[in-house]
Amino acid sequence: MNMLNSILYDTIYYSTPIVLCTIGGLLSYNANVVNIGLEGMMLMGAFSSALFSLLTGNIFLGILIGVVLTFLLGLIFSFLSINLKSNFIITGFGVNILVAALSEFVLQYMQVANINLNSVVNVNHLKIHIPLVENIPILGKLLSGHPFMTYFTIAMVFVVNLILYHTRFGLYVRVVGENEDSARSVGINVNRVRYAAILIGAVLSALAGANLSVERMALFTNNMTAGRGFIALAAFYCGKGKPLNSVLYAVIFGLAQALATNLSLNAGAASGLFGAVPYVVMVIVLAAVSVTKQRGKLTRGTGIG
Amino acid sequence: MFGSHKKKLVALFLSALMIVPAAAFSGCGSKGQAASSGSAQSAPQKVTGKIALICSAAGPNDNGYNQSAIDGLKEVKKDLGIDYKVVQSTDIPGSLTSLAQAGYKLIFSLEYNFDALVKGVGGQKAIADQFPDTTFVVFNDNPNLKADGTPLHKNVISVMFNVNESSFLAGALSVMVNENATTLFGTSDYSFTAGDAGRKIGFIGGTKSNGITVFGYGYASGANYEAKKLNKQYTCYTYYDAGFTDSAAGATKANTFFSSGANVIFSSAGSVGDGVDSKAKEVKKMSIEVDANKDAAYPGHILTSVIKNTKVPVYTIAKYYNDGKIADYGGKELTYDLKSGATSITDLTEIGSKVVDSGKDEWTKIKAELKDISDKIGSGTIKVVNAQNGEKFDKSTLTNVTMPND
Repeated sequence: MNMLNSILYDTIYYSTPIVLCTIGGLLSYNANVVNIGLEGMMLMGAFSSALFSLLTGNIFLGILIGVVLTFLLGLIFSFLSINLKSNFIITGFGVNILVAALSEFVLQYMQVANINLNSVVNVNHLKIHIPLVENIPILGKLLSGHPFMTYFTIAMVFVVNLILYHTRFGLYVRVVGENEDSARSVGINVNRVRYAAILIGAVLSALAGANLSVERMALFTNNMTAGRGFIALAAFYCGKGKPLNSVLYAVIFGLAQALATNLSLNAGAASGLFGAVPYVVMVIVLAAVSVTKQRGKLTRGTGIG
Repeated sequence: MFGSHKKKLVALFLSALMIVPAAAFSGCGSKGQAASSGSAQSAPQKVTGKIALICSAAGPNDNGYNQSAIDGLKEVKKDLGIDYKVVQSTDIPGSLTSLAQAGYKLIFSLEYNFDALVKGVGGQKAIADQFPDTTFVVFNDNPNLKADGTPLHKNVISVMFNVNESSFLAGALSVMVNENATTLFGTSDYSFTAGDAGRKIGFIGGTKSNGITVFGYGYASGANYEAKKLNKQYTCYTYYDAGFTDSAAGATKANTFFSSGANVIFSSAGSVGDGVDSKAKEVKKMSIEVDANKDAAYPGHILTSVIKNTKVPVYTIAKYYNDGKIADYGGKELTYDLKSGATSITDLTEIGSKVVDSGKDEWTKIKAELKDISDKIGSGTIKVVNAQNGEKFDKSTLTNVTMPND
């Protein structure tokens, strides 16, 4: 029982930043922009919100500044790749190494090994315990005791779904992704739509990073996103950019990680092997999805999905 | 047409701009090095000091490993009047070469990077061969060995720390604190798991190598020593594959140990250890840090740190050099143990300040017991397995500690 609770709680813990990054990234995916800079944007959010939480002594202000800075990073990415038509992959890669190096540089410059927000915030105070709900077995661990961003993430899943399928903007995003020329021919400002999609992604990735560093750990360490942005990328590729499906894959990866972490304790000497479980799951899921995707496909290389 | 062409050029240029600062930032350490060693290179005659030290990635203000080495050099300057130079670098082979070229005769390198020095890389002769009159000192490993165990170079000294002995102390301390947690710290600020369910400790390592298991095995042995004295049965959870980067995953891993009843977790895993500390604070239990004195990072939740005091070897080796005896030690592996003061646990002032008034007597007893243990280790009465020398760990010697995941 105790273990089941831990697994459920850790699944939410691992999934939150990945899901948030997934729903942020899938908008630009739908607009046919491959944003591999998500990892860097998440790291930027984690780093700058931790840094400015420390400097201002206020985590809300810190996270706000972190979001603004990541937004600016998103603007640079958009300007380069949309206006100046640089390659999305190369530019995204540039974002990733830029942020990793920038955060390392600042830490070195401040002569610290990490950013410790111990003096600013106690993570226990950030957890929201929902009365009554928290006492329900199983469900309690799933729904209660998480920080604000977790609940925000759940809400955003539906919001993004709503935006994508029930608003004019969402329609434009999908049209731009399907066929840029047609979109242009009916008078859609393709660049503006893509800008918006990328920038929403940047903001959500920043919040994912802030969840990881400020809210969960009160700590930033170098490269602490550790590939979560790429897992998000894999999630919305598997989900073909559909919000609910993509989120499902993100949660599967979170669950795999939680299972690996919790089960290894009882696995005796084989516990080390469990570290590979999430990655094995990811490879299997990716392979399965791409096999099923290829079925019934008659053309090659056009459009998305 | 022309416009789009120009745009592409601008795009290229701006993309390049994005990459350039990244490269510049990541090379920031080497920039500092280039500045310092560059000036030395341009004027090799004007050597200001004879001893040089190359910092590890943590940098000179790490409150531990690097800083205490620099303290050692400061003392050398004060006592022996030898000038020194401290270099921060990401290009260890380059720094070794330029410092040796500039005429430094004794060079300490704290980074874990030896190939260019002892073997030579990229078709180059080994740096130790290129500068036979310079003595190079490396730490934490002995790369200077031929297959038959004889030294490769007569001008390379390897410094090893017997952290197994200090980890033993940390293990003993963990058990004593765990048994007396309520007496020592009261019940308000901590939520230790009580009774048999709480007779558990944990060890998290970055990778399963001798350099890491040396801590874990020493730790479990120390816990066993105390548990046997008190006639209690302990469990030591271990996880050796935490890596050194993902602090958030380290925190959840620690959480599985903590929620299964472990009250103290010792980690030797870089940034992952920071995640363990953060979780210890969150669940109101304790962690043990490594290398530098990090007790103050989470006051009251870092029980102690297993430290390497580089000051001791740096000072002694500089003294050998000053006395003209450095050649006697060339090619050797110098081991610094608990007795030498080069490795230990912290003085426990940080955690000691959290001890409640009614627990002061118990705390004094615990400190006395630690003193007794270190004396016994020093005199050889207690022998602690040293995995970094390739010694095998016989778990059947652990009468009172089980290690289910090892």
